[in-house]
Amino acid sequence: MALAVTLLNSTCLASRCCRHKVLQPLLGTLLIDSVSKCYSSYRRPGSQPEVTPSWRNIDFSFKKGINALKTQLSLLKKETKDHLTGPDGHSFSEYLLEQTKVMWQFRSQEDLNKWVISSDVEIGGKSEVHLKLGRNNQGAMLYGILNTEVPRDGETKYSGYCSMRAKPAVGSFARKKYYDWSNFNSLYLRVRGDGRAWMVNIYTDPYFSHQKDDLYNYFMFTRGGPYWEEIKIPFSKFFLSSRGRVQDDQHPIWLDKISTLGFTLGDKVDGPFQLEIDFIGLLNDRAHTEEFAYETYERNPRT
Amino acid sequence: MNPHAKLISSMSLIMGTSITISSNHWILAWTGLEINTLAIIPLISKSHHPRAIEAAVKYFLTQSTASALILFSSMSNAWSTGQWDITQLNHPTSCLLLTMAIAIKLGLVPFHFWFPEVLQGSSLTTALLLSTLMKLPPITLLLLTSQSLNPTLLTFLAISSALVGGWMGLNQTQTRKILAFSSISHLGWMIAIIAYNPQLTILTFALYTMMTTAVFLSLAQIKVLKLSTMLISWTKTPMLNATMMLTLLSLAGLPPLTGFMPKWLIIQELTKQEMTPTATIISMLSLLGLFFYLRLAYHSTITLPPNSSNHMKLWRTNKALSTLTAILTATSTSLLPLSPLIITMF
Repeated sequence: MALAVTLLNSTCLASRCCRHKVLQPLLGTLLIDSVSKCYSSYRRPGSQPEVTPSWRNIDFSFKKGINALKTQLSLLKKETKDHLTGPDGHSFSEYLLEQTKVMWQFRSQEDLNKWVISSDVEIGGKSEVHLKLGRNNQGAMLYGILNTEVPRDGETKYSGYCSMRAKPAVGSFARKKYYDWSNFNSLYLRVRGDGRAWMVNIYTDPYFSHQKDDLYNYFMFTRGGPYWEEIKIPFSKFFLSSRGRVQDDQHPIWLDKISTLGFTLGDKVDGPFQLEIDFIGLLNDRAHTEEFAYETYERNPRT
Repeated sequence: MNPHAKLISSMSLIMGTSITISSNHWILAWTGLEINTLAIIPLISKSHHPRAIEAAVKYFLTQSTASALILFSSMSNAWSTGQWDITQLNHPTSCLLLTMAIAIKLGLVPFHFWFPEVLQGSSLTTALLLSTLMKLPPITLLLLTSQSLNPTLLTFLAISSALVGGWMGLNQTQTRKILAFSSISHLGWMIAIIAYNPQLTILTFALYTMMTTAVFLSLAQIKVLKLSTMLISWTKTPMLNATMMLTLLSLAGLPPLTGFMPKWLIIQELTKQEMTPTATIISMLSLLGLFFYLRLAYHSTITLPPNSSNHMKLWRTNKALSTLTAILTATSTSLLPLSPLIITMF
């Protein structure tokens, strides 16, 4: 009888719903913490409940696999050809000559698909953000409504941000590719804003997880006028932050391994916002000689 | 860096290298390798830049793994043969493990992925140490055990290193990464001949060290970290620009410069050992590196680069010109006629 009960209990262990009812009487208080960590009934607001297990969502299809393999092999062939041509697929003399370069421009839906938008809906906030092509397909329009109302989940203190971030470049077989911006020293943006202050973020994709939250930021102040403005932000101005906190130990950004660029709005002002971007480019400004804008002197001298 | 810390790191590096190259027992050799690994970590992460820290961590993880593999290989050999002598590595599994471990230590293909990243994250002086001094202990171990190792595996490592070193170096725009891939390619040449004529490996290593030191010291003199800076350095130091190009061509193995000597002798020895296909393949693969260096020399020295040269910060050198750079540059470019003398020295 006792054996039957134990057996029934052990079969119940296999199914998720009964596990906590069975484990606790069996092992008492020992496992309370791990039980709560194994599966939690708390779900962040804004996230969908997980109904199907992730392995069920995979579509095993031989034909799809073959097509994917063909696509990757053609990407690899293109990469090999570009490698033989020169840095980034352009000839070496073009690399020597370039003083400006357009990295992202918005002329079609395909250009918009290279970007990802997000807002504080992820943490339960109420801001909205949308991205669409501007008039006559000249530029992208990032617009929405910022809402600084804090989600009532007991742990969030601040809210109200919207952002747009470029997807990282991916080579064949999902290998990461990086941009080499070492020939340039400034970011050149042609934008038309609404007077709000934006933050430009550059992510250099470190190898280890210790530094995965490292981001280089600087501000972009827009005018609200009907005219387009060209904003030049030198890379020497970008400061290092990690998880949103500006670091004490500042270092200049290294431009040889850039992963993504992003724009964030978080100026704590409720209301609609709009930013039109024509293109994002790079510039080698010969007049700009500053190497790094922040403290480089020794902070605790030994004398 | 704190002078005391610098002293301890440098002394530890010298001590670690000396311990490894003078040891007969595997444990002592391993101790020297570990001392070297730990001593260079503060030198790599000196600037505390996130990329420097990343480079230091990558270096530590790969080198520790390799050291552990060396220890495991020696232990399994000791288990089967009962002795710890470095030259008596007889067990086949131990030989295979040691080959893999030394390949990781040196940065031979297919364990080379850490090397360019670590060099890119370090300063030029530390990169010089990583390319030259840190290669000495593993090469010594390889020389001592070369007669027991599988020649086919060594040939495979050599050809693949020459291939990857040449291929990946083609489009590099950062000088440290260029020299990293050049190092991988040179190590391939050294490994190709180690099983047949270890003296040639020592000669190749010595000449490679001399040429690489000349290049690194020249780059450090004018603080050149990327190609675009190198190409406009003729306004600052025209003579150094020209001699640096000659040294780079020597590194690529172009006759009649010094760098051609080891390649010529290795091809000759491989042909004597009836390994003509290997000799052909490895010499064809070195053409990739030569192409790149020749293109660089063409754009920087033979023709004027198309960039305008009104960079204010490249006006004057900060450091006084060093005589060591001059001596090494001269020897890196003009030692080929002295080949008979040099061959007798090794």
